[in-house]
Amino acid sequence: MPFNGKSGKFNAAIRTVEIGTGDKAVKLGGENVLPFYTFDAPIENAPKIGVMITDMGLENEVAGIKDYYNGCTSFAEIAKKAEEMPGADFVVLRFEGADPNGENKSVEDCVAIAKEVGDAITAPLVIEGCKNVEKDAELFAKVAEALQGKNVLILSAREENYKGVAAAAGLAYNQKVGAESAVDINLAKQLNVLIGQLGVDQGNVVMNVGSAAAGYGFEYVVSTMDRIKAAALSQNDAQLQMPIITPVAEEAWSVKEAMASEADMPEWGSQEERGIDMEVETAAAVLASGSNAVILKHPTSVATISKLIKELV
Amino acid sequence: MALKGLDIFKLTPKTNCKECGSPTCMAFAMKVAQGAVDITKCPHMSDDALATLSEATAPPMKTIKVGTGDAEYTLGGETVLFRHEKTYVSKSRYAVSVSCCEENMDAKFEAAKAVDYDRIGERMHVEMLYLDYCGDCDAAGYAEFVKKAAESGKTLVLGCTNVDVAKAALDVCKDSKPILDGADASNYEAMSKLATEAGVVLGVRGADINELYDTVAAIEKLGNKNLVLNVGTASIKDAFATTVQIRRAALKNTDRTFGYPSIVNVGKLAPGDAAMQAALASLFTVKYGSIIVMEGMNYAQALPLYGLRQNVFTDPQKPMKVEPGIYALNGGDENSVCLTTVDFALTYFVVSGELERSGVPCNLVISDAGGLSVLTAWAAGKLSSTSVSKFIIENVEPKVKSRKLIIPGKVAVLKGDIEAKLPGWEVIVAPNEAVQLVKFLKDMQANGEI
Amino acid sequence: MTLFDRAFGGSSEMYAWAEKSVAEALEKYGADAAVSLPSTAYSLPCYYAVTGEKLTTLGEVKAALEGKIKEMMTRKERLHNVFQAGIATALAAEIIETMKYMDGAQPYEEPYVGHFTDAMIRELGVPLVTGDIPGVPVIINAAPSVEEAVALVKSYQAQGNFVTCVGGICDQLIEAGYNTGFNVRVTLMGKDITSAAHVVSIALRAALIFGNITPGDLPNLMKYTFERVFAFVNAFAPVDDLTVGCGAGAIAFGFPVISNDMESLKGMNVPKSLILQPDTEKFNPTSIEARDVKIKVTDIDIPVAFASAFEGEIIRRGDMQVEFDGSRVDCFELVQTKEASEVEDHKIEVIGPDLDEFEVGTKHSIGYIVEVAGRNMQSDFEPVFERKFHSYLNCIEGVMHTGQRDMIRVRVGKAAFEAGFRAKHIGEVLYAKIKNEFDAVVDKCQVKVITDPEKCTELRHNLAIPSFDKRDDRLRTLTDESVEVYYSCILCQAFSPSHVCVVTPERLGLCGAVSWLDAKATNELDPQGPCQVITKERVIDERTGEYEDVNEAVKMYSQGALENVSLYSIMENPMTSCGCFECICGIEPFSNGVIIANREYAGMTPLGMTFPELASMTGGGVQTPGFMGHGKHFIASKKFMKAEGGIERIVWMPKELKETVAERLNESAKELYGIENFTDMIGDETIAEDPETLLEFLTEKGHPALGMDPMM
Repeated sequence: MPFNGKSGKFNAAIRTVEIGTGDKAVKLGGENVLPFYTFDAPIENAPKIGVMITDMGLENEVAGIKDYYNGCTSFAEIAKKAEEMPGADFVVLRFEGADPNGENKSVEDCVAIAKEVGDAITAPLVIEGCKNVEKDAELFAKVAEALQGKNVLILSAREENYKGVAAAAGLAYNQKVGAESAVDINLAKQLNVLIGQLGVDQGNVVMNVGSAAAGYGFEYVVSTMDRIKAAALSQNDAQLQMPIITPVAEEAWSVKEAMASEADMPEWGSQEERGIDMEVETAAAVLASGSNAVILKHPTSVATISKLIKELV
Repeated sequence: MALKGLDIFKLTPKTNCKECGSPTCMAFAMKVAQGAVDITKCPHMSDDALATLSEATAPPMKTIKVGTGDAEYTLGGETVLFRHEKTYVSKSRYAVSVSCCEENMDAKFEAAKAVDYDRIGERMHVEMLYLDYCGDCDAAGYAEFVKKAAESGKTLVLGCTNVDVAKAALDVCKDSKPILDGADASNYEAMSKLATEAGVVLGVRGADINELYDTVAAIEKLGNKNLVLNVGTASIKDAFATTVQIRRAALKNTDRTFGYPSIVNVGKLAPGDAAMQAALASLFTVKYGSIIVMEGMNYAQALPLYGLRQNVFTDPQKPMKVEPGIYALNGGDENSVCLTTVDFALTYFVVSGELERSGVPCNLVISDAGGLSVLTAWAAGKLSSTSVSKFIIENVEPKVKSRKLIIPGKVAVLKGDIEAKLPGWEVIVAPNEAVQLVKFLKDMQANGEI
Repeated sequence: MTLFDRAFGGSSEMYAWAEKSVAEALEKYGADAAVSLPSTAYSLPCYYAVTGEKLTTLGEVKAALEGKIKEMMTRKERLHNVFQAGIATALAAEIIETMKYMDGAQPYEEPYVGHFTDAMIRELGVPLVTGDIPGVPVIINAAPSVEEAVALVKSYQAQGNFVTCVGGICDQLIEAGYNTGFNVRVTLMGKDITSAAHVVSIALRAALIFGNITPGDLPNLMKYTFERVFAFVNAFAPVDDLTVGCGAGAIAFGFPVISNDMESLKGMNVPKSLILQPDTEKFNPTSIEARDVKIKVTDIDIPVAFASAFEGEIIRRGDMQVEFDGSRVDCFELVQTKEASEVEDHKIEVIGPDLDEFEVGTKHSIGYIVEVAGRNMQSDFEPVFERKFHSYLNCIEGVMHTGQRDMIRVRVGKAAFEAGFRAKHIGEVLYAKIKNEFDAVVDKCQVKVITDPEKCTELRHNLAIPSFDKRDDRLRTLTDESVEVYYSCILCQAFSPSHVCVVTPERLGLCGAVSWLDAKATNELDPQGPCQVITKERVIDERTGEYEDVNEAVKMYSQGALENVSLYSIMENPMTSCGCFECICGIEPFSNGVIIANREYAGMTPLGMTFPELASMTGGGVQTPGFMGHGKHFIASKKFMKAEGGIERIVWMPKELKETVAERLNESAKELYGIENFTDMIGDETIAEDPETLLEFLTEKGHPALGMDPMM
C-alpha cells in the first residue's frame, strides 16, 4: 500500500498585494497553502525580502554592513546600494531618528530623506516609523503625500493611530497600509475591520502581526501566525487574509545576544556573527510560520534567507 | 478523535482501589485521556475494555526513547500539528555530525562541547553526535571511532548503512542506547534484526517519501516499531516536504506507518554554509524536526536556536517563569535603585533589556507572581502590596541599602499600600511601557534622583 | 410663501445668475474655451461628483446647465424635489464661481480662499476622517455684531472645527483683525453666497477621495456626506431666497441649517434640518447637537496632575485638607441617563459650600451626579460608568477615593487644595473622562457636585438609593429567557485560542468578571471588540440550552475549533474553559453529583484531583464532558447544569466557598426544590476528601443527588 499524502490545499487564499511600480514591483501573498507547503500546491508568490536602512545612516551599524555600504555618502547612495544587495526585493526606510524620546528629527527632515530615497531607487519602498504613535501619524501622512504615485507600504497603522495613518496612506494618497498589532489574532482582526470601516480597500492592507527575536516570546509569534493562516485559509476569514510582513532586523539586532560585546562575552565569539545568526534564524522561523515578507539588514542574512526561499519554493 | 475521560471512566472497575497510583478511578481515567498515564497501569481492566481502549488511546505518533542516564531523551509522542492546540511533547534535539575519516576528530568532539549554558533553568547544549560512516573505513576502524565518540557522554546516532560495520559499532556502544540510522530498502531486514537484537532505535531512510513509507511498513511487519525516520538529503525542498508530510500523515490522517520522530541532516543539506544551516535548524525546529544534525554548533548559531526551541516547546497555557531574586544590571550594587516586576519570562526579558539599554546601574527585583504578566498577576492577586513588600523585607532589605523602589506603571494603584507596608522606602511609579524606562531612568539619573 | 416656494425661488434665481455668467463668458471666450478650477483632477468637482461627468469647455458647461441642472429643478412640492432643486442650486453656484476663474484668473486674494485644491482636501480629509476635526461649520451672512461674529467663530475653533465663512461674516472677521487661514482652521470662502459652492466641493471631493464613491452615484454620495462629513450651516438673518436655495442643497447632503431669522423663516423649521434659534449665543450648542458632532475633550481643566501614576496614592489623615465619608454622613455617586434637552454639555454645577469653606481636616457630605444624554445611551450602562469613578478620581494627584454607590470616601490632600483644587474640579474630571471613554454612547454630559448636607441627605434617600434598588431589581429579574441576545467574550483567546465564553444574564463569564450587562456595554462601546452579539433564535434543545445560532457563533469565534455548545449541560458539549475560571465543577460518579473546587482551594477533592489538576484538563478551550469552569456567582444560578437537574447535584465544595455562596445558594434551592439550608447537605474538606467518606455523609444527610437519575 503506497503512501497516500492527502493534499492540504485550501479553497481560500491569502490576498495578493502589490507594492511598488513598474518592473520591480513585488507581489506579496496569494498562496492557498501553509508556508512552503509546495507539495500541496505551488506557492503563488515566493516570500519577499526587504533591506532596511535608517535615517540614522550607518554610524551605529556593524562592520559588515558598513563595509557593504562603503563609500556611500548620501541617503540616495545608501538606498541605491540597498536595492542592489543580492537577494533584496524591496527597500525599507526606517525613521528611527524621528522618535521624540530620541533624536526627534522633524517631519520636514524625514520627508526630505523619504523623497531622496524614493527618487533614488526603482525597487518598491516600505516606510517604517519610530513607533511613537503621535509622531508616526504625523510623519506617515506627510511621507505618504510626498511619495504619491510610488505605491509605497506604510508601516504601520496601529490601534492608537490607525485612523490618521490609514486615512492618509490608504485613502488620501493611494499607498498601501500596514496594520500592526501585538501578537494576538483577535487584535489583528479587529484592526483590519476598523481600517476597512474607514473605507480602505482590504486589498491595500498588509499585516504586521508583531514580532520578537527568537527566544524572546517567539512562541506568541508562531501561534499568532499559525492561527491567522488557519483562520484565513481553512475558515476563509476575509478579515485575516491580508499578507503578513515581519520586521526582523530591528528585533534581532537589539537583543543581548546580538548586542553584548566580545569583551563582555568572550566565549560567545564574534558579535557580528551572533547578530547575523539571530537575524537569519528569526527570519527562517517567521517565514516557516507564515510571513509573506521579512525585513532584514545584513548582507549575509539577506543572501542566506534569499537562498533558503529559493530552495523551498 | 481521542476518547474523553468519561468514556474511559465508564470502562474502569470504579472501585477506587488506588493500585494504579491515582486516588480514584476518575482521576486515573482523566489522566489516561490526557495521555499522561498508560491504560495498562490499571490491573483490573477487563480484556475487552483494554482492547477497546488501547486502540483508541494509542497515540498517533510513537514515543521513542534514546540514550541512557542523563543523556536519555524522549522523541516524538506528539498529538498536535500546532503548538496552540496543545503543548508539543518532545523538544527538537540537536546533533553535530563527525565523520570517521575526520582528520581533526578530537577537535571536532571538543567543539561539540563548546556550547553549554543555562537559559531560564534549562541546560542548552548539543545533545547528540551523528557519527557518519564514510563507506571506506573497515568495521574495526569505525567501531574505534564510535568508541571514542562515546566518551563525550552524548547520545550517539550511527549514520551507517553497512550492516557489518554497524554491527561492530553496536558491539561497542549498544548499552548507551544509540540510534542506528542505517536501514534502507536494500538492507532493512538485516538492519532491523541488528537493531532489535541490540535493543536500539533504528533509523530508516528512503530514496523518496514513497520508498521511505514502504520500507517502514516492511520493517513494522517484521515486528520492529522502534524507529526514527531520516527525511533524506536529496534537497532542502524535498527534506522539508518529507518532514511535514510524515508528521501530518501521522497526526491528521492517523497513518501510523509515519507515526515516528524524524531526523533531518541539515549539515548535508547545506554543507559548509553555517548561516544556511542555522536557518534550516530554525526552520525544522518550528516545523517537525525531531533530531536536527548540523556540521557544528557555535554560540552564534546556538543562542537564537535554543531560545527558539525553548519558546516553541512551552505550554501555551503555562507561561515561562524566571527565578525570583535580585538581578543586578549595569553593575548595580547595594546602593543602586531597585525596580520590581513579575516573574513572567517575557516581561523579565523585555524589562531587563530596556534597563540594560538605559545603562543605569540598578537591581531588578523579581518576586513570585505565578509567571503571569503584570496586569494579569495583579488581577489574580499574585502581584500585590503584600507579595512585593514581603519579598523586599525578606530578600532585599538584608542585601541592598538603597531604599528606592520603582514599581510598574500599570500597578500604580499599589503605591500607597506598598509604602504603608515598607516603612523607610520611597515608592516611585514607572511609566506604563517598558520601552519608556530608558528615558525615565536617564532623566532620574540626570536629576540626581538616583 | 412656503419654505418650498422660497427654495424653488432661490434655485431659479441662482440658475438665472449662472446662465448670465456663462453667456458673458461665452461671448468673451467662445464655446471651445477650456474650463477648469485650479489644481483639481475632478473639475468641476460638484458637478462631477453628482453626475459622473467632467466639464472641460464652456460649451459643455452651457449644455450641462441647460440639461442636467435644469432637469433637477422640478417644482413639485415634494421633499425629494426640493432636495434636487437644492443640489441644482449648488451646481449652478459652482458654475458661477468657475466662471470667475476663466482664462487663468485669480479671483480670490488673501485672506479669501475660494476654491480648495485637491492637495488641501487630502490634507484636510485625514483629520476629518479621524475626527480630529469634529465638524465643519459654514457661517453665512453677517452676525448681529462683530463681537458676536468673533465669539461664534472662536467657539467653533476652540472645539477643533474647521470653520468656513461666506458673505458678511468675512468682513466682520477682517474688521476684528481675526487671524484666519487654512492652518488655523478658519477660512474666508468669499463675499458672494455662491462661494458656498466651494464648501460643498470640499465635502463632495472628500466623499470621492476618502469614501471611494463612484462619481454619479448620488444616493451613496448623499449617504457618505450624511454619515461622514459633519458639516452644518449657520445662516444669520436676514436670509434671502438664494441662501434658502443653497440651504436646501446643504440639507440634501445631510447638513442642517441653523438660523436666527425669526421673521422670514417663521414657522418653517424642520426638525434636525432647519432649526430656528433666536439666540445666536446658542448657535454653537444647537448646531453641535443637531449635527451630532462629537467634540473631543483633550485636556482636563484642573490645577493638579492627572495620571494613572497617582492611582495608588494614599492621603494620610495628617495630609488631608477635607474628607467626605459615606460611612458617617450622607454621600453618594450616581450616573443618570437624561433626555438631550435636559443636559447642557460641560455644565459643572456645585451645590453647597466649596472646599475652602470647610475647616481643615473635617468630614462632610458629598454627592456627585453625572447626567448624560445620548442617542445610544442606555440606563444599563450607568453602573458600568459608575464603576470607573473610582479609578478616575484616584488618578487625580492629591485625591483619594474608595468605595462605591453610597458608601464612598473621598479625601482631598492639603497640597492639592493649595494648588487650587476645588469641588468643581471633581466635576471636570468626571466630565472629561466620561466624554472621552464613552463617546460612542454619550453625546452630552453635565455634572452636579453637591456638598450641601441637607441636599445630600435628601438626594441620597430619594434619588440615589431608589436608583440602586431599581438596578438591583433589574439584575435579579434578568433571566436568559427575558433577553433577546447573548454575548460572546473572547478576551482570553490569547491564552486559550479556541475558547469562547457565551455570556448570558444567568451565566456570567467563567472568570466571574464579565456579566451580561458588562458584555453588552463592551459591545456597544467597542463594536469590534471582544464581546459580540449572539442571537438565540433557532433552538435545538431547550433543556440543554443548545441553539443553532449559538453554535454558529462559537464556531466562528473559535475559528472552527468548536462546533456545538450547550449552555446548561456539563455532560453534552459543555462550554469550554479558558484558564481564568474562578471555579471548576466536575462529576463525582459515586454520589451521582458534582463537586466544585475554587481556585483558592489548595487541598484534595473527593475526585482524587486538586484544583490545578482539574484545571489542567479542563482549561485551554477544550470541551471536557463532565467538567466545566465557571464563576462563583454561577453556583446559585437556576441555570447551573440545569440539563442534569441543577444545583441539587452539588455534593461537595470547599468550606470557604460554601460559606461565600451559602445565602444565595440556599435561597435558590428553596425556591427550586423547597429544600431548607441546602448547604448543610453539601460536604466539604472538613467532612471528606475521598468519595467513600463523602458518600457516607451524603447518605446520612439524605442528599437529593443520591436519588436522582444517573448522570452517565
